[in-house]
Amino acid sequence: MPLLKLLDGLQRWRGVVLASTVVVATIWLALTNQLILYIHPRYVVFTVIMAVLALVFIVASFALGRDGGDGHAHDVDHDHAVEVPSERQGALDRAVTVAAIVVSVAIGASLVIVPPATLTSATSDQREINSTGVGADVVSVDDANEASEGAFAAFTVLDWASLLRQSSDTSFYDGKPVDVVGFVTADDDDPENVFYVSRFIVTCCAVDAQPVGVPVYAPGWQDDLALDQWVRATGEFTTNPSRLSSQAIALDPDDIAVVGVPDEPYLF
Amino acid sequence: MTRQLESHQHPHEVRRRVTPGSVVWLAVGVLGLLGLFGLRVATADLGLAVPNQLQDFLTLSTSVIVESMPFVVLGILLSIAVQVWVPSSWMMRFMPRNPFARRAVISLLGVFLPVCECGNVPLARGLIIKGFTVSESMTFLLAAPILNPITIITTHQAFGWDDNILVARIVGGFLIANVVGWVFSRHPNQQGLLTERFASECRIADAHEQRDARFSRSVDLFRREASVILPALFIGSVVAGGIQVLVPRSVLVTLGSNPLWSILAMMVLAFIISICSNVDAFFVLPFASTFMPGSIVTFLVFGPVIDIKMLALMRTTFTTRVLVQVTVLVALLSALLGLVVNALA
Repeated sequence: MPLLKLLDGLQRWRGVVLASTVVVATIWLALTNQLILYIHPRYVVFTVIMAVLALVFIVASFALGRDGGDGHAHDVDHDHAVEVPSERQGALDRAVTVAAIVVSVAIGASLVIVPPATLTSATSDQREINSTGVGADVVSVDDANEASEGAFAAFTVLDWASLLRQSSDTSFYDGKPVDVVGFVTADDDDPENVFYVSRFIVTCCAVDAQPVGVPVYAPGWQDDLALDQWVRATGEFTTNPSRLSSQAIALDPDDIAVVGVPDEPYLF
Repeated sequence: MTRQLESHQHPHEVRRRVTPGSVVWLAVGVLGLLGLFGLRVATADLGLAVPNQLQDFLTLSTSVIVESMPFVVLGILLSIAVQVWVPSSWMMRFMPRNPFARRAVISLLGVFLPVCECGNVPLARGLIIKGFTVSESMTFLLAAPILNPITIITTHQAFGWDDNILVARIVGGFLIANVVGWVFSRHPNQQGLLTERFASECRIADAHEQRDARFSRSVDLFRREASVILPALFIGSVVAGGIQVLVPRSVLVTLGSNPLWSILAMMVLAFIISICSNVDAFFVLPFASTFMPGSIVTFLVFGPVIDIKMLALMRTTFTTRVLVQVTVLVALLSALLGLVVNALA
């Protein structure tokens, strides 16, 4: 019964193998400073410590070896009886077991093969840009009134997006220079003329990423820019000339330059 | 007599760590790990032209796995500690005899064992093997993610004392865990609540208590728990990632301002997002401006226990029937809690 034996071995070691893929991927991401593509920086240390502990147990599992054969036959029998699909199980159960193995092996493989990436406009479309309120420690209109010109230049997409939610009074934005970096997503209502310079905010991990963005009025932007391209836009906010867009205020860009993906693509 | 039998059955027990066979396995394992690492380095800049949706699906699933894995490891380690290193009598000694008081104390165990919900599953499995009843372990599973210091601190950081969200979460989580524990303690066949596989594992553990050396037992437990929990985690993450890509978030957000619909929407959101209880308060904070406080509380009480990832993890231990019952019960109770908070607000 070589097949049963193989399946049995697979069952015994699948946890260690799957754990190895996660641990290897985690440690490599940490070494290359890319763990923040998946989790908030505050969890990086904890995640790495636990990955190293898991690594110790993985290596120890190997060192303890096959574990069957000598006097541990009861273990193997036990695993057989309950895990390996047997005649007692229906075809459906067997199919589910096989599907589960295939899915987890595929994901394990993707962990060590697929190059890490940031979320794309596909997700920001699903999650509707600026749809929810913003976090606790954002700039308020009052704070912004007292800030210096240099401070405005350092404002992120998130800072501006939260100000835009609070005030659509154009005089407030007069003389306040905007300089933001983000990726391009199209405006739902007026995709011809308006796009967003957007970022994702991550509170825990990429799963909870919420898109925020600054609307930019630039007719024909699609000739020069592609979706998901990273850009740096400078200019000032004015009344949005677009009739279709729901945004009252948009950036009137002085310059839109294509840039590389920043080291920290998410805002935290 | 037992001693003799043991030495007869395990002639190589003590020396097995240094047999040539195990050196070969160690070499194979380490080479395998190095191979994986090399593969990861080699494929780092692979120019895969993956469509956006697929790319995001992989990113989201990976992120659930990377985020949960440390808590799963911590849970497995604590489970090993409870099963192998803490004497059986020690933990039971502090437990009250009265079943209600006992469950109440158990629901506070999370204060000392601050693992997130995914780590709680291996820990709860360890507690059952160690002698907790099934309903008691369920109380622990429901209460510990909410009644633990990290969750309480992060919830306080996010909401302060606003709208009694923190108080409602703590009290509500405690009550729901104890009610559910009580309901399942009425079940005549406690072992019948467990999957056949886990139930037989409990019997094996009974029979072989104290047999192996502690270190090798610990490592063996790690291997076993990992092979049960990790496939479940992987599958839960894949489903959670897939749904994120397919279901537009706006469908839920538009329901936010209705007292009843906002609660249901938040339960669906909690179910889909499968986020850890230690951090879910930060996640839900931005919704506080559009959603009613009761629905936020529902999210914070329902989400830690019932979501896609957790159901996949809990399925390793409890039967499907039990999980459906727990889900319905917790959903109804947390919706009720949300309605009460909305009515008071």
